[in-house]
Amino acid sequence: MTDSGDLDALFDGKSLDGHSIDELSDYLDRGRTPADPAIDSSPGCQIALAGLARLRAMSETLVETDAAAEPARDDSWVSGILDNIELEAHAGRDIPIQHSAPAARLVITEGAVRGLIRAAGDSVGGILIGRCRLDGDVTVPGEAIGVRIDASVFFGERIPEIVARVREAIYTELLRHTELNFTSIDVTIHDVHHVRSSPEEVAE
Amino acid sequence: MKAPSERRGSYSLDDADDRTLAGRAADGDVRAFEVLVRRYGPMMRAYATRILGSSTDSDDIVQEAFIAAWKRLPTLDDGSVVKSWLMRIVSHKSIDLIRANRTHDDIDDHEPEAPDEASPEQRAVAKSREEALSAVLATLPAAQRQCWVLHEIGRYSYDDIARELDLPTSTVRGLLARARKKLILEMEDWR
Repeated sequence: MTDSGDLDALFDGKSLDGHSIDELSDYLDRGRTPADPAIDSSPGCQIALAGLARLRAMSETLVETDAAAEPARDDSWVSGILDNIELEAHAGRDIPIQHSAPAARLVITEGAVRGLIRAAGDSVGGILIGRCRLDGDVTVPGEAIGVRIDASVFFGERIPEIVARVREAIYTELLRHTELNFTSIDVTIHDVHHVRSSPEEVAE
Repeated sequence: MKAPSERRGSYSLDDADDRTLAGRAADGDVRAFEVLVRRYGPMMRAYATRILGSSTDSDDIVQEAFIAAWKRLPTLDDGSVVKSWLMRIVSHKSIDLIRANRTHDDIDDHEPEAPDEASPEQRAVAKSREEALSAVLATLPAAQRQCWVLHEIGRYSYDDIARELDLPTSTVRGLLARARKKLILEMEDWR
């Protein structure tokens, strides 16, 4: 019953009152707005639309269902990816550090500084540092540099307190390892994270 | 209840939201990138398999996609959309492979030879609607399946699909119409 001829006959202009399956699919994509009375009053179109809507609902979860049904992969699959990424890709700008020997050229990379900022911020606890940007010309000694940080906090933390501790920790760490002239550290909290309680925590 | 301070250790990267992870990975944090690989790798693999119609090349495609993603992450301004961004990279990589392997015959809209007959049996034993849909998808000609997966799962527009697959938009519309008719009919029993 599903060869090409029958297919065309089942959803042709006649059974769909002059509309095409293509047109109906676009109508569904638009959320059936603006309402088209000709489509809405056609029994043939309504049957086809119901079928399209069922397909849509299934297709939305199809790859999630596929992924869930797959057996767990061993770690070689992950390491195969991590072994092939270029670690230097995110080194960023070279930041000069003065040295007593005038001929020596010492630099710390922007990527390394961002690593220091993440480690210092995370060490406060209850917060995870996300994207981190250094504004200003870090390659020129003495230039005013602003730090902009994106972060998420664990549910239950007092945000003003934790942000104050994070700024302090980052400032201390940066003074210790760089000669940059930091004039501001701005922290944006973009998410408050809820972790599902473990059973014993619920019982307490 | 434990005080938040006692539970701080439990807020690890594995629990982090996508924006935090994507931001860290963009800044060069390999551990954050690894969490993204574990979180979305299986779904990306399933998506590649759906587009390609076979899992033979899926692992390679996903690996290539992640390597490209690592390089391009600094250009992703909104890390919260990293999942759909990764899915888009996988579909691009899959399409590249389709284009590289394509012969002119593939563009024709002919039915595949064998699987069509197996479909009713597979439908009869399918345990779920998803399995039934999988079985029917497997019977579609490659070009119909590719268009359908890219539009319905990848949210590609008709014009995007036409450009990516190097086909006229009218052909894409025709392929999608045929795919939809067949899928609606075959899935009638599963409503």
